Amino acid sequence: MPDGAPKVLDVRNLNTVFRTRTGEVHAVNRVSFDLEKGELLGVVGESGSGKSVTMMSLIRLIPSPPAEIRSGQVLFDGMDLLEVDDDTLRDIRGARIGFVFQDPMTSLNPVFTVGFQLREPLMRHMGMNRREADRRAAELLELVGIPDAARRLRDYPHQFSGGMRQRVMIAIALACDPEVLIADEPTTALDVTIQAQILELVRELRQKLGMAIIWITHDLGVIAGIADRVMVMYGGQVVEEAPVRALFKSPRHPYTRALLETIPHVRGKRAERLEVIEGQPPILGAAPKACPFRDRCAVAVEICGRENPALREVGARHRVACHLADADTGAGSGTGAEPEGAHV
Amino acid sequence: MFDLTTKARTLIRVSGLKMYFPIHAGIFRRHVGDVKAVDDVSFDIYEGETLGLVGESGCGKSTCGRAILRLYDITAGSIQIDGQEIGDLPQSALRKLRPTMQMVFQDPQASLNPRLTVEGIIGEPLLEHTSMSRAERKARVHELMDAVGLNRSFSDRYPHEFSGGQRQRIGIARALALNPKFIVCDEPIAALDVSIQAQVVNLLEDLQKEFGLTYLFISHDLSMVRHIADRVAVMYLGKVVELAPEEALYGEPLHPYTRALLSAVPEPDPDLTIEDRIILKGDVPSPANPPAGCNFCTRCPAVMDICQREDPEFREVQPGRFVACHRYGQSAENKTENENENETAA
Ligand SMILES: Nc1ncnc2c1ncn2[C@@H]1O[C@H](COP(=O)(O)OP(=O)(O)OP(=O)(O)O)[C@@H](O)[C@H]1O
Ligand SMILES: Nc1ncnc2c1ncn2[C@@H]1O[C@H](COP(=O)(O)OP(=O)(O)OP(=O)(O)O)[C@@H](O)[C@H]1O
Ligand code: SF4
Ligand SMILES: [Mg+2]
Ligand SMILES: [Mg+2]
Repeated sequence: MPDGAPKVLDVRNLNTVFRTRTGEVHAVNRVSFDLEKGELLGVVGESGSGKSVTMMSLIRLIPSPPAEIRSGQVLFDGMDLLEVDDDTLRDIRGARIGFVFQDPMTSLNPVFTVGFQLREPLMRHMGMNRREADRRAAELLELVGIPDAARRLRDYPHQFSGGMRQRVMIAIALACDPEVLIADEPTTALDVTIQAQILELVRELRQKLGMAIIWITHDLGVIAGIADRVMVMYGGQVVEEAPVRALFKSPRHPYTRALLETIPHVRGKRAERLEVIEGQPPILGAAPKACPFRDRCAVAVEICGRENPALREVGARHRVACHLADADTGAGSGTGAEPEGAHV
Repeated sequence: MFDLTTKARTLIRVSGLKMYFPIHAGIFRRHVGDVKAVDDVSFDIYEGETLGLVGESGCGKSTCGRAILRLYDITAGSIQIDGQEIGDLPQSALRKLRPTMQMVFQDPQASLNPRLTVEGIIGEPLLEHTSMSRAERKARVHELMDAVGLNRSFSDRYPHEFSGGQRQRIGIARALALNPKFIVCDEPIAALDVSIQAQVVNLLEDLQKEFGLTYLFISHDLSMVRHIADRVAVMYLGKVVELAPEEALYGEPLHPYTRALLSAVPEPDPDLTIEDRIILKGDVPSPANPPAGCNFCTRCPAVMDICQREDPEFREVQPGRFVACHRYGQSAENKTENENENETAA
């Protein structure tokens, strides 16, 4: 890579398949990406495009069976997370790689206090005693903006609102100062005004703590506001990956382009009619032998139905999986689009 | 698009609508309070327009939509459809009116009977409310499937064999079966993917034009409402706090809550830094125990003394623009002591 920021995570050719009664589901196909120190990588894509399964696979949190990680490497600090033994992996999960899941109510345990759930990783991974862990737990709750933190440690999850539970989840994920935070749709279930609070918090925390973040969302507005780099998934594959500005200003994959055109805006000109992407997302019954977007693609040609295009570099840190990626000139694509900051 | 400059005919008139859900407690199930889901709401919906209804989770949007269709026995207020009062009609008398007003639901999966074929589902209201023969019904179902862009050859399939967007089309076809005038669309696209949402919204717009439909479009997606609505009402904690034509509301929001809400919507443009973004503190209070005075006073960045004492009147501050906020209209100073029971603007 031209800019020499060190990689904290390097995922290579990940493939995950589900075996179901009705056959196989090829949920993740040859997914490769990396994550630099301190950067925020946004991951977008339609429902079922493989975002969650990719992230669950790379830290082996995916239940198998039914899932099976068929191949791939996940390099983290000189180790391959798909190869390390369970004890090593447990030490990494929750300590060096933190998680926030899609639904806070299912991932917080309703029968334990919030304080207990915050202390647990601190005592297990950081070797703190009860009193130290208590103090740190209160600090963490304060860090995520929960008023009266010390007292609220004794409360149970149901005593918090949805937005506060999401903050608690973030506090738990941050407890052991992870190098990487993976957040799966952390604000999707929240109202916009509460989402705005959380996004503000994440901006602050990045400045203070400087960890690398993978942020999954289907909201392109959220991505535009917080990401340094964006990865677009479709049909279990990465179809485009670019610095945030390049992705929004000069998208190269027909799916990314269409996606950006279908969304209405609250500011600026109001479109007379919404652009649509006709058709439905693909069903992933077998390893794809053709471009997964071909049936819905407005510019598809004969080869698209015959060969699955590989990711190719089309600009600075800009990769696209499309047979026509080079065909169009894409004036100005990639150039000068490096985001600033974040590369600590 | 609907033309607001021509003299619009009022199709729906809601005034002073309240829908409270009682809270019972103890072994005697004593009535200890109410969830004030809709608390004194008034507005008109013009024939042929789309009125957007926005607001955060739990603010009372669905309850309001369902109350207008009289799916509840309302606590207070009046609802007129085409001049006819239905607020106090018993359910038996409402049956006759049902065909004119329909609803499209959020979850296309849950709202369709899984045991019926598409033909059965779309034909069900025809069976119940008309005396059509089997062949006539089938012809009408096919007509409706054409209108919503479903292939006729799918009429024998079951709901689980369709995608989310297609299921929503089935729900829309059923809502259209009896030629309604008015349709409440309750989050019709919330469960759909971005790329499918646009398909359904375009369909709703086409059908509106073709059949002259009037919509109440409920959504928490402010950008989609901007696209589809002619006028927009903003709800907060059971009350409509602002109502205005789409352009005015998005261009120059007046109520402090509307401003905060719009400024919180993230824009899909990395070059755009929204200057004065308003980050609201705290959470929405419970509708079982709303704050005294203006119900937004606990979170309002522009709060004044009077706001904690008096409920601001929902009034027309410019032609066609309604706001419930002490910052607009009479100067706050004049309104100190006199406790005035507010008549809400219709
Ligand atoms: N337990 C499972 N058994 C079978 N298939 C599964 C299972 N979990 C996920 N899948 C399939 O894997 C694919 C990818 O799912 P994934 O949850 O990663 O999607 P996603 O991009 O996270 O979508 P969303 O935006 O809805 O969260 C989908 O086709 C899904 O149906
Ligand atoms: N049948 C009921 N019994 C008691 N309370 C109810 C009932 N239906 C709704 N409520 C309450 O009334 C309030 C308004 O609910 P409503 O469903 O109308 O909100 P909404 O604006 O549609 O929210 P969302 O965006 O989440 O759909 C909520 O506090 C809700 O819990
Ligand atoms: S009335 Fe007062 S508290 Fe309510 S919105 Fe207006 S300024 Fe804010
Ligand atoms: Mg997911
Ligand atoms: Mg609702």
